[in-house]
Amino acid sequence: MFNSFIDPAIPVLVQGATGRSGRSQTAQMVAYGTNIVAGVSRRDDPEAKLPLFRNCAEAVRASGARASVAFVPPLDVLPAILEAIDAGIELIVTVAEGVPVHDALKAKAATREAGIRWVGASTPGLAIPGKLKMGFLPNVSLAPGSLGVMSKSGTLSYEVCYRLVERGFGQTLWVGVGGDAVKGLRFADLVPVFAADPATQGIVVVGEIGGSEEEELAEALLASGCKKPVFALLAGRSALEGVTMGHAGALIQENVGTIETKTAALRKAGAEVSQTIKDLVEAVTATLGHPIKS
Amino acid sequence: MMLLEHHAKALLAAAGVAIPDGILVTAANVAETPITLQLPYMAKAQVPVGGRGKAGGILKVKTESESQPVIEKILGMSIRNHPVRSCRLEAMVDYVSEAYLSLAFDADSGTIKILTAAEGGVEIESPEMRAKLLQASAVPELEAAKAALETLIPALPDALQTPIREAGQLLLPLFFEKEALLIEINPLFITRDGGWVAGDAKVLTDDNALPRQPEMRALIERCPDLYPEAALKLAQGFDFVQLDPQGDIGLVTTGAGLSMQLVDEIVQRGHRPFNFCDIRTGGFKGDPSRLIQVLKWVASGPNVRSVLMNFFAGNTNLAELVPLILQALEAVPELRQPITLRMTGNGLEAARKILAESNNPIHVETDLERAVDRALAAAEAGAAEAGAAEAVHV
Repeated sequence: MFNSFIDPAIPVLVQGATGRSGRSQTAQMVAYGTNIVAGVSRRDDPEAKLPLFRNCAEAVRASGARASVAFVPPLDVLPAILEAIDAGIELIVTVAEGVPVHDALKAKAATREAGIRWVGASTPGLAIPGKLKMGFLPNVSLAPGSLGVMSKSGTLSYEVCYRLVERGFGQTLWVGVGGDAVKGLRFADLVPVFAADPATQGIVVVGEIGGSEEEELAEALLASGCKKPVFALLAGRSALEGVTMGHAGALIQENVGTIETKTAALRKAGAEVSQTIKDLVEAVTATLGHPIKS
Repeated sequence: MMLLEHHAKALLAAAGVAIPDGILVTAANVAETPITLQLPYMAKAQVPVGGRGKAGGILKVKTESESQPVIEKILGMSIRNHPVRSCRLEAMVDYVSEAYLSLAFDADSGTIKILTAAEGGVEIESPEMRAKLLQASAVPELEAAKAALETLIPALPDALQTPIREAGQLLLPLFFEKEALLIEINPLFITRDGGWVAGDAKVLTDDNALPRQPEMRALIERCPDLYPEAALKLAQGFDFVQLDPQGDIGLVTTGAGLSMQLVDEIVQRGHRPFNFCDIRTGGFKGDPSRLIQVLKWVASGPNVRSVLMNFFAGNTNLAELVPLILQALEAVPELRQPITLRMTGNGLEAARKILAESNNPIHVETDLERAVDRALAAAEAGAAEAGAAEAVHV
C-alpha cells in the first residue's frame, strides 16, 4: 500500500471544478472511487454535485481536504498552487499544459519552502489503480498490479500500460510527472517510494529527450541501492535538435538531453532500456515471469 | 523557441548590449537588400542549433565579387537537418580576448544559474573549458540574481570584471522581463579599449509565455517562414514538425510522447517519416480544420507513399473523432496515398460502424504493431509501383 506517498482514501478537493473539463473529470474521478470532498470555483454552478467553495482555505476548513487536483488554465496554475499552499494542502496535481517556465520556477520555490508535493504541470496526473485517481489517466490502461510507473508523456504511457495490462501487468502506483522542463515532482523523487513499497516488483520509466531527469533518476537508483528491475522506454531518438517536439521539455540543445546520454546513464544504473514499446513489454514479461491474468 | 542569432542580437541591442552591425538576408530579399557593411564581413547561417561554424555555415566575405556566391551557398545549406532560411551578414570585430557569460535555469533545483568564464569560444562545451566555468545560483528573482552575479566578479581577471558586470546587469532584467530560458553570449568579445561586444547570442524563449509576451508573439507573426513550428503552434494550437522533406510515411498522430516514439520506431525499421505531429484531439471541439491542415501538408510530401493515423482514445471518443476524419478526407481529395488508421479505446465499435457505412477504403487496425507493419508495407508497395512506372517511362 502506498501510504508513504499518498493515502488512497485521502480527501481531495478540485480547483477549477466548474470548468468544462473540471466538471467532467471530477465526475469521472468520483466514479473511479476517489474521495472527492469539495470543489473550488469563483462562480456558482447549480448543477454541481459536490460542495462548492470560493477558495481553497474555505474548502479545506469545511471538508477536511488534504490534497488538490487543479483543472485551471495554464496561466492560473501558479496562483492555484499558492492558494493551495496557503490552505494547508499537502499534495497538489496540476494537469494544465502550457505553464510558463518562470511561473513553474516560482511554484517550485514556493512548494519546496512550504514542504508540499506538486505533481505537474502538463500531466494526466496519478493513480492507485482501483482506488484513487487524481487527473485523467485512462481506465483502459489502469489495473491493480505490481509495477510502479513514472512517465513524462501521457499518450506513450497510456499505450505502454495498456499493453502491459493486456499481458497481465498492472500498477501499484502510476505517477505522470509531466512533459514540462520545470516541474514539481521529478523521476528521481519516486525512487524511494517504489523502492520501499513491498508490492512494487518492478519500475517502468517512460521518459523522453530533453532535460536531465533520466540522468538524475539513474543517479538516484544507484544511490538508493534499489535492486528492483527497472524498465525504461525513451522517446525522441529521431527528434530534430533545436525544435520543441510537442512537449515543452522535449528540446535537445547542444548534446544535452539526448537519448544517448540518458540511455548510457540508465544502463549504468542497471536499468533495461528498450527501443520499442514491444521490446519493453517483452522485457517486463521475461523478467517478472509469466503474466498473471487478473 | 530558439531565436535565430539575428533576432537574439536585436533583442539584446534593444536592452543596451553592444552588437556588431548586421543585416538579415533571405533568398526572397537578397537581390534588393543593399549591403552597407565594410569588406571583409562575415556571412552567418541562421539556424536554431549550434555547431554552425564547424558545419561550414560561417564564412568570410573578402571581396565584393565573393558576396553573392557565398550568400547563395549558405542559403542553400542544411545544418543538422535545419534548412538555412536566412543569413546574417555581420561586421568584423577587432577584439583582444573572448569571454563567456550565460543565464539559464536549473530544472532540478528551480534556481537561476549564472555562468561565466574568462575564455569563451566554440570549445566551451569541452570538459576542460567547463571545468573553468564560474557558477552562481539564485532563487528566481532579479535582485537575488544580481547579488549572485556580484559573487562571481572578484574571481575574474581585472580586465573582465567591468565587462561581465555590465553585461550581467543588462541581461538579468531582460531574462526576467522576456521570460527567457537561456541567454548566452559566447563569445563575449573584449575590445582593445576595454569595452565589450556580443559576438554571438543565443536566446531561448518560452513558448508557454507567449500569451503575455507580445513582442515575442509579434516576431513570430512577422517571420512565420523563419519560425514555422512556433508560428503554427501560435496560430493553430498544435505541433507539426517536418522531419524529412523526402520522407515516405506521413503521420497523423496525437500525443507528443507516443508520436515521437512512433517516429523513432519507423526510422529504426528503415523508413523515413515525413513529419512529427501532435494534433491534440482534445482541441478539435467538433471541428475538422486541424485534420484538414495536417492532411494537406502530408499530401504535399513528394515521396509520401503511406499515411499512418494513430488515435488511442483514453479520454476522447472515437465515435466523435471518426466523422471528423471522414470530413477531413473529403476536403483533401489530393491525398491519394493508402491510409492505415489505428484506433482503440472509447467508442471503438460505434466508430467502426460509422467507417463501414462510409465505404471509405481506409484500413483499420486496433493493434499499433500491426498498424505500423501495414503502413510500412503499403509504402514499400507504393515505392515498388513507382519504380516500375519509372522503368516503363525510361
